[in-house]
Amino acid sequence: MARTLRRVVGKSLPRMDAAGKVTGTAVYAADFALPGMLCGRIFRSTEPHARIVRLDLSRARAVPGVRAVLGAADVPDVLFGGGLKDEPVFARDKVRYVGQAVAAVAAATPEAAEAALGAIEVSYAPLPAVLDLEAALAPGAPLIHEGWRDYTAIPILHRDGNVCNRARIVVGDVERGFEEAERIFEHRFRTGMVHQGYTEPRAAVAAWDTSGTVTIWSNTQLPFDVQNTLAEILQIPPSKIRIVVPGVGGGFGGKLRVGVEHFAAFLARKTGRPVKVMTSSEEELTAAYPRQGTIVELKTGVTRDGRITAKSGRIWFDTGAFAGSGPGVASVATLVLAGPYKIPNLSLEGFAVYTNKTNCGSFRAPSGPQANFAVESQMDIIADALGIDPLAFRLKNIVREGDEGPTGQVLAAVGLEECLLKAAAAIGWDDRKPGPSRGKGLACGWWTTTGGSSGVYVKINPDGTVALNTGAAEIGTAALTGAAQVLAEELGIDLADINVVSADTFSTPFDFGAQGSRTAFAVGNACRAAVDDLKGRIFALAAAQLGVAPDACHLVDKHVLANGKRISLADLARLSQQTGGGLIAQGTFIAPPTAYDSKRVDGHVYPAFHSPSFHAHAVDLSIDPETGDVTIHKYVVAQDVGFAMNPTYIEGQIEGGVAQGLGQALSEEIVYENGRVLNPNLTDYKMPTTLDMPRVETILVQHPSLVGPYGAKGVGEPPNIEPPAAVANAVASATALRLTSLPITAEHIALALRDAGA
Amino acid sequence: MSKIDLSLSVNGERHEVRTEPHRTLLDVLRTDLGFTGTKENCLEAECGVCTVLLDGAAMNACILLAAECQGREVLTIEGLAREGGLHPLQQAFIDHGAVQCGYCIPGMILAAKAYLDEHPSPTEAQVREALAGNLCRCTGYQKIAEAVLAAAGELASRRT
Repeated sequence: MARTLRRVVGKSLPRMDAAGKVTGTAVYAADFALPGMLCGRIFRSTEPHARIVRLDLSRARAVPGVRAVLGAADVPDVLFGGGLKDEPVFARDKVRYVGQAVAAVAAATPEAAEAALGAIEVSYAPLPAVLDLEAALAPGAPLIHEGWRDYTAIPILHRDGNVCNRARIVVGDVERGFEEAERIFEHRFRTGMVHQGYTEPRAAVAAWDTSGTVTIWSNTQLPFDVQNTLAEILQIPPSKIRIVVPGVGGGFGGKLRVGVEHFAAFLARKTGRPVKVMTSSEEELTAAYPRQGTIVELKTGVTRDGRITAKSGRIWFDTGAFAGSGPGVASVATLVLAGPYKIPNLSLEGFAVYTNKTNCGSFRAPSGPQANFAVESQMDIIADALGIDPLAFRLKNIVREGDEGPTGQVLAAVGLEECLLKAAAAIGWDDRKPGPSRGKGLACGWWTTTGGSSGVYVKINPDGTVALNTGAAEIGTAALTGAAQVLAEELGIDLADINVVSADTFSTPFDFGAQGSRTAFAVGNACRAAVDDLKGRIFALAAAQLGVAPDACHLVDKHVLANGKRISLADLARLSQQTGGGLIAQGTFIAPPTAYDSKRVDGHVYPAFHSPSFHAHAVDLSIDPETGDVTIHKYVVAQDVGFAMNPTYIEGQIEGGVAQGLGQALSEEIVYENGRVLNPNLTDYKMPTTLDMPRVETILVQHPSLVGPYGAKGVGEPPNIEPPAAVANAVASATALRLTSLPITAEHIALALRDAGA
Repeated sequence: MSKIDLSLSVNGERHEVRTEPHRTLLDVLRTDLGFTGTKENCLEAECGVCTVLLDGAAMNACILLAAECQGREVLTIEGLAREGGLHPLQQAFIDHGAVQCGYCIPGMILAAKAYLDEHPSPTEAQVREALAGNLCRCTGYQKIAEAVLAAAGELASRRT
């Protein structure tokens, strides 16, 4: 009954910022400009691994129009990073990848800045470069960080030379589990490095004021993290750093960490002028925070009737020249390697490994697609070998309500079986090979709703409208529209009554940031907390006005109702302004910790999935036997979203996530050769276009979570996880070829078909 | 570098600009004239976020010299809703949930307008073909295609 009374949540209402975006009036960080602003550009390494013998900036400084040229000698000698601080602002003694920042210039015009870059003189003495994972792990491999032992790192990490973390989950006795098995399967998989592909470059405008405060307008997803990191880099208190996030043109994890903000800040301080730094496409594809390439090895033991008795797995992340998100991603990966399956014996390890490549980071469901590709490919291989239908094999082993996750967390609201059955039905699983060179594939998985805290201020204006003040940035997902829907529902007002102010570290409350599928979930819950607080004040005021008891009061349709009497929120807000400073409340939320068995994990920074989501993807595709070209006839996603706060934008998350996933599956890879990227442009880095994307059928499954607002779970990242595995399984069904490397390009398929003599 | 005087017609209004002859229409629109609805990304005509209409044809402003646009009519996204109400394409993009981050949307809408002006009753396949030069990383294009088809229907109903 309560559900039928809802007027705002669960409705497909248009996002609040849509009109500005379709008229071109929405201002993004890339659009932001200040009077007198200078153009900043970065001088980047052309060597994968080399000692800097000489760096001479004097000629560059003399270029007309140039206001500043900075190198390592001009900035504090600090190393920054997340759990592991290993990255300098500018390369100091040596460069560690092609694209690493060596110097930066600020000039009156882009032309002058480019001229200054051309006038910088540098000479390198090349060092042996570590070009891939195998080379980095080989005995006697050159160390990329000779001083790795001296770095500041969270103590939980297990580091050793080129390995900057090894995370482990151990459950039961994996060797005994393999002894119990009747068949053992061992496979190795590889995945390529891929870029988030946001259409707005990373951009920052920095300006200092006379009090020594720097304001930076940046398209970061994590303004508070950037504020704190910049405090370390600039060596000033965080209170002197104001990060403001205008519109963000997509992030997908690529705009989490400091990217260009520090360069803008140093250049602006040196010149006394505002400075803007914005990346080029070439910089994005050579010097950003892409998804790590990986190697995965899996060994799985099963009984003949298809019960998994043991699994051991190792995944190595090519995290590039600096740790970036690698240590955390390697940890998360072990939970993905376990899969959404009940397996009594596990030994799973994730390694983050330095190489002389760009510093990798977080990309929508970090580690998810890579690990899931291996796990779900192998599930199909095993099912085929056992002569069991892949769907039946999964249904035999999946987790269900009340089961344990790999680290001992008790799973609740598990909608996985429903997802699998609905996805299979929608794709027509009964007929898995509907024609020649045509086949269907399935894949399923689980994912987290990232924790961390969120605060909001909610203010009722004297006209009855409401201001929602949040530290979270709207990066395009409509998560803040979702949070505002929660607020509107709880206050009994319309979505149109709410205005959002967001992401300004001086004025908005703290938020852990737009990451990990958490924004609508956490900010929505913070809104609920704020309304709980506000209600006390509103009802006290209303009770006095109406002559009723406060607990007789209800919020309905922009009014307080009590015993047949009513007074509007607007009147109460006016009254409160006259008598008590107005109606304002703070709300905070932090996801409760998820209990797990700490004895099962080691070196692990993410030991349990909070309010986990479950999902299944299915695809029906054909292969052109001559060209290897893949045509997708139908793509289905069944995702347990807990509660669909705004179905339209959840569909949008799913359709977009599938697009990125299909890019990784079929066409996208940052291709390195001898430490250099061969395809640093958007023609050769092949993201899906309108012509590449099939229609995606979305099935929303709703097993309400215990924690999320109205039962919601995180929805943004999961759709990106399963496409590579689903595609690989469908390709195998269509061709009998098992391709174990991503991307599965037409060329790879055609060559494999030729090799197979087809 | 010597400068030249340009007279540009943007959204039906004349703008006098004195600038270097090598500058692109995109740069002049964004930097000199403040039309930041025309977006900047790859600068190599690969992504389509800078799409504007030049004499009604969709063009990537990042590889057009501003000087080439003298005497021609430039339409940017800011010029589409001048009469007060939103253009049917803009309204359809909102109604169909076709906008996420929105950075590709001005270019996407203008590319769609150029196509619909010539092909008022397209199929979905034709719409997708027409928008193949405009990358979107958020939506997977499905709701964009639906929005363009809906706008085509709305425009047709207004003509009858």
